Amino acid sequence: MKVFVLTPEKELFNGNVTSVKVPGVVGQFEILKGHAPIVSGLSKGDVRITLESGEKQVFKIARGFVEVFNDEVSVLVQEPKKEN
Amino acid sequence: MSGQLKEVRERIKSVISTQQITKAMKMVSAAKLRRAQQAITEIRPYSDRLQKVLKHVLTSLEGEADSVFNRKTELKKPLIILNTSSRGLCGAFNTNILKAAIAEIEDKYKSNEADGSLIFLCVGKKGHDYVKKHYNKCVIIADWVNLPNHMSFEQVEEIAELIFEKFENGEIDTVEVAYSRFKNAGVQYPEALRYLPVAQLDTDYSKKKHRKRADYVFEPDKVTLLNELVPSILKTQLHRYFLDTHASEHGARMTAMDKATENAEELLKELRIGYNKARQAAITTEISEIVGGAAALEGA
Repeated sequence: MKVFVLTPEKELFNGNVTSVKVPGVVGQFEILKGHAPIVSGLSKGDVRITLESGEKQVFKIARGFVEVFNDEVSVLVQEPKKEN
Repeated sequence: MSGQLKEVRERIKSVISTQQITKAMKMVSAAKLRRAQQAITEIRPYSDRLQKVLKHVLTSLEGEADSVFNRKTELKKPLIILNTSSRGLCGAFNTNILKAAIAEIEDKYKSNEADGSLIFLCVGKKGHDYVKKHYNKCVIIADWVNLPNHMSFEQVEEIAELIFEKFENGEIDTVEVAYSRFKNAGVQYPEALRYLPVAQLDTDYSKKKHRKRADYVFEPDKVTLLNELVPSILKTQLHRYFLDTHASEHGARMTAMDKATENAEELLKELRIGYNKARQAAITTEISEIVGGAAALEGA
């Protein structure tokens, strides 16, 4: 399953994974291989990715969107404002 | 004679130091241009995918896709986003953007300009200065003149939200943006474009073969999603305008400084020839004076 995590300023992640957990506006959900096509808004929280090697990665987000289609996941997010 | 020589020598010195400055500025601009171009390419995947998501939402949306941003307006309260550079020495860059903006104003908003209902939002000092001087009847609602070199998405968001707020509560009903589209270091296209209201969202997708076989699940519902998506896309678009202008600025400055360095080289060539001629003439005169003097002594 291919995943892109993109912000307007850079690409945070791009690669093959086994699972993606996202904070949907309706509730957190996990995307595994073969997930039905979905478009969802995302709210503030963590995007958790499990790589094929079992390694985990976490990205903090402020909000965004996720789209799943044909085992391709696009996570379009904005990073939370940096605290000064 | 030697006084004239000294003068030319001084001029050569000053041209050389100017040339060093222009050369350095050119190299700085080249480096900044590279970074600016990189920023443009980095936003592309995000905005392309966002567009794709929008398309998918529209595809499954039956009928009209309505949003605050595509309501019809009478063009009574226009806002012009004037995006220029904050610094000069970039050739005709700012003049060209201003020209594009002025052409747009003359074309569509002449009456607004006359009664002062034309509003400006200036990003970049040069445009701000121009508006203050030439459109003193018009209001500048906000300006970002002390910009850092690179505009972050957060800053763009701040600007965009200010515009959206004014647009939603009817303080403005049209937004035009004057910026410079970046093609390459040598070519930039100054443009003035309609930013808001957006053209009717194309729902034709649903009728054509664009219809994906997939039935999407939408969370929350489609309308809410659309109302979230459209502002996001508009912000990305605005960010692209700013990034393009930024890259164009450095491209224009690089070209201008390259030309300046070349011109300085030419000037130096001429000055050096003049200097050498004058020096040779001085030596020749001196020798002939000595020879003349010696001959006079011998004769005596």
